[in-house]
Amino acid sequence: MKRMLCICLSLLMIAGTLTGCSGSKSSKDDKKTLNFFNWTEYMPDSVLKAFEKETGIKVNYTTFSSNEEMLNKIKSGEKGMYDLTIASDYMVDTMRTSGLLEKLDQAKIPNIGNIDSKYTNMYFDEGNNYSVPYMISNAILCYDKSKIPEGINSINDIFDKKYKNSIVMLDDIRMVMGLAAISLGYSVNETDPAKVEKIKQKLISLKPNIKLFDSDSPKTSMISGETSIGFMWCAEVALAMQENPNIVPVYPKEGISLMIDNFVIPKDAKHKANAEKFIEFLLRPEISKMVSAEFPYVNPNKAAFELLPDSYKNNAASNPPASALDKAQLVKNLGDNAQLYDDVWTEFKNS
Amino acid sequence: MKKTKQKIIKTFGKLHAVLILLFLYLPIFVVVAFSFNESRRNIVFTGFTFEWYGKMFENTRLIEAFGNTVIVALCSTIISTVIGTIGAIGLHKYKFKGKGIIDTLMYIPVVIPEIILGIALLVIFSAAQMPLGLLTLIIAHVTFSIPFVVFTVKARLNGFDPSVEEAAMDLGANRLRTFFEVTLPIIMPGVISGALLALTLSMDDVIISFFTTGPRSTTLPMQIYSMVRSGVSPDVNALSTLILIGTITIAILTQSGIITTIKNNILGRKQK
Amino acid sequence: MKAKKRFKGLPKIVTLAPVSIWLLLLIAIPLIYILVISFLGRNSNGSIRYSFALENYQKLINAQYLKIYAQSLLIAFFTTIISILLSYPFAYHMAGGSKTKKVIMMLLVIVPFWTNSLIRLYGWKTILGSEGILNGLLMKTHLIQQPLQLLFTMPAVILGMVYTLIPFMILPLYASVEKLDHSLLEAASDLGAKRYHAFLQITLPLTLPGIFAGSIMVFIPALGYFFVSDLLGGGNNMLIGNLIKNQFNISQNWPLGAALSIVLIAVTILLVKLYTKVGGNIDDLGVA
Repeated sequence: MKRMLCICLSLLMIAGTLTGCSGSKSSKDDKKTLNFFNWTEYMPDSVLKAFEKETGIKVNYTTFSSNEEMLNKIKSGEKGMYDLTIASDYMVDTMRTSGLLEKLDQAKIPNIGNIDSKYTNMYFDEGNNYSVPYMISNAILCYDKSKIPEGINSINDIFDKKYKNSIVMLDDIRMVMGLAAISLGYSVNETDPAKVEKIKQKLISLKPNIKLFDSDSPKTSMISGETSIGFMWCAEVALAMQENPNIVPVYPKEGISLMIDNFVIPKDAKHKANAEKFIEFLLRPEISKMVSAEFPYVNPNKAAFELLPDSYKNNAASNPPASALDKAQLVKNLGDNAQLYDDVWTEFKNS
Repeated sequence: MKKTKQKIIKTFGKLHAVLILLFLYLPIFVVVAFSFNESRRNIVFTGFTFEWYGKMFENTRLIEAFGNTVIVALCSTIISTVIGTIGAIGLHKYKFKGKGIIDTLMYIPVVIPEIILGIALLVIFSAAQMPLGLLTLIIAHVTFSIPFVVFTVKARLNGFDPSVEEAAMDLGANRLRTFFEVTLPIIMPGVISGALLALTLSMDDVIISFFTTGPRSTTLPMQIYSMVRSGVSPDVNALSTLILIGTITIAILTQSGIITTIKNNILGRKQK
Repeated sequence: MKAKKRFKGLPKIVTLAPVSIWLLLLIAIPLIYILVISFLGRNSNGSIRYSFALENYQKLINAQYLKIYAQSLLIAFFTTIISILLSYPFAYHMAGGSKTKKVIMMLLVIVPFWTNSLIRLYGWKTILGSEGILNGLLMKTHLIQQPLQLLFTMPAVILGMVYTLIPFMILPLYASVEKLDHSLLEAASDLGAKRYHAFLQITLPLTLPGIFAGSIMVFIPALGYFFVSDLLGGGNNMLIGNLIKNQFNISQNWPLGAALSIVLIAVTILLVKLYTKVGGNIDDLGVA
């Protein structure tokens, strides 16, 4: 009897200690932690480790696959769950106007001077009080020239029936609908119901050509030969090109949409100072270079750009031509009309 | 004539069984094989290497996720086994007002799709302003494990002869002593198999963890879920292979225990 | 003695209180909460508007959502049928073996459970891909000229579902077949019945409870899965699980997600009622 009681009591004690341990682990994290919420495939482990080594601050890294997912998690989670996250241009606007962001202590982030002035003081945050540019992640087209010798140079090309079941698309509402909008000559922020209906029909006509949706690693499908056409983030195209030289990037003649990703600090972040330290760290040219080496997005950091190798500078996927940048559209916050796009997306995915 | 027909049917049955087992294990073979693959991508086998097993330990996020999984699984198994076992005894013995409700509630996590329980728990944690983390995960796991423990123990109790308990109490043992020295040993196979079931469910849970996990409490299935979408690096294969070897070892070591448990469970239900 | 009488109710409370409180707090209340939310509205910034609204349920009646439910039911249906066809001979063979054979086969079925289901599904990706193992083999032996497009299709999703859920069919089927009284079959053959007659008239009806129990344990989870279609379907099929997950994960429309879940619960209750009506024993469920 005593033996049984001892066993049971000790089991309960172990359970208690374990739960207690996990409880105390989270209270120990008071000063030296950073809860960083980022896109998948957007930050090299080497950079996080370098930051941890230099500052002793442990980075808790979690990921998401779209702006909407990030916004959702931040809104529905506990206050101050994340200290730092990356929001695209229109999402910064949404979050700022909804009071979801902390004002940055700009004195702590002098390295912002390294950023090309083209990308500072933009519409979504004039004065950069709430955001600092990280990388530019345009979505562009690409194709495998060994499978498609005739090439692709217009968005409307990919709608051709002969490309049935051969496209990998981003799983991103704004980017994909934007693509269809641009092909029709519309704005990517179109809210006129008649025009949105046309966008919907155009999208649905594309569905048979789409093999799969992937926002996390579409390059895998292009490299493995699963698909011969891709609509994906420019760095994914660049990385695919590295592993499969048959892949060609395309800036369609109708234009592309720009996506400027920025560091932002969610409201009530528990480790705001650590977040600002991290941003300052990332703005250093040699650190920014490390990011571009592994994820070759368009780098807005002028000082880092100087340090990058020719292989990066010569890659069209990471360096949009001026003609493309001039025509590029900026995605904007839709406000109350967001539900309109949601419904189109559901119907499109369902078709 | 009849004997050859019987033989043909038996061989066909054997062949079918082997094919099914092949079907079950084929992807496992692939996962194990690619843990030794030289290439970083799980697409083509380029060469043989052990390096991923070493790299696995350097992947701190992966190891941390594994640690979380083990902590959550152990805690939730212990808690749900304790609550479930004594609950099963109570439900087996006593009648009370509202028993019907409790019985119905018990079936819900077993029968409804997991996603519903996942969002229900998310919603209630959010309403209670509870931060999502290891604690919410453990609570969630206990919630879906308790019914399985209760049913397993109850199945064992069905063949249980209450006169043994009465005899013990007539001989002067109080209720607590009777429980620990008489009841528990008899139902122990059911308790163990219920605990094993709870452990298995917790270690592999994807859906409910998806909704109730927080930034600092990623579990192994969640970590793998975010990786399988972007491309699994072979150190995950290495970890999975090691887990597989570990669980097979435990299975073989407790083989006698499992044989008896399964036999008794099936016998216990036969006697219903 | 007075002391003993005072504590008479104690064992009852000690054993029943923890489990009852837990179930009430963490199952009953959350589900009621979901029901309540399903009747609420949504503000434009995504938060819940606390006013009674039928808009979520009204939304469900449109063709888009009905199509999603139909597709999910169809996939779950095929998954169940295929599982039955694959599992029955297996369970039958298992039940006919020696005691050791039974245990070994049981272990072989359960052990894959202990490796992560996601990584096993990922293994299927490697096997089924355009340049994957299966296509590689078929191409090398010149059985086909172009690689088969197996991945990111509905059949791939069904394969993934069958793969993940088949143990839930095998175990109840086995339990049912094992209980079969072979003397009945002997009597039948003594009376001159052909094998397949005996199977149709005796074995099948008597193992029907196992088939029903297995069907419930496969069909209902299949309705709610989202990760199988995520991994093997390429995001091409929108199923109920994906739709519900999106409401909580991306679209921030909890009331709609709640309404979708309530409908799913209703479908589940209907199926379980159907199951008990055709003679299924609810105690057979859940002993996986």
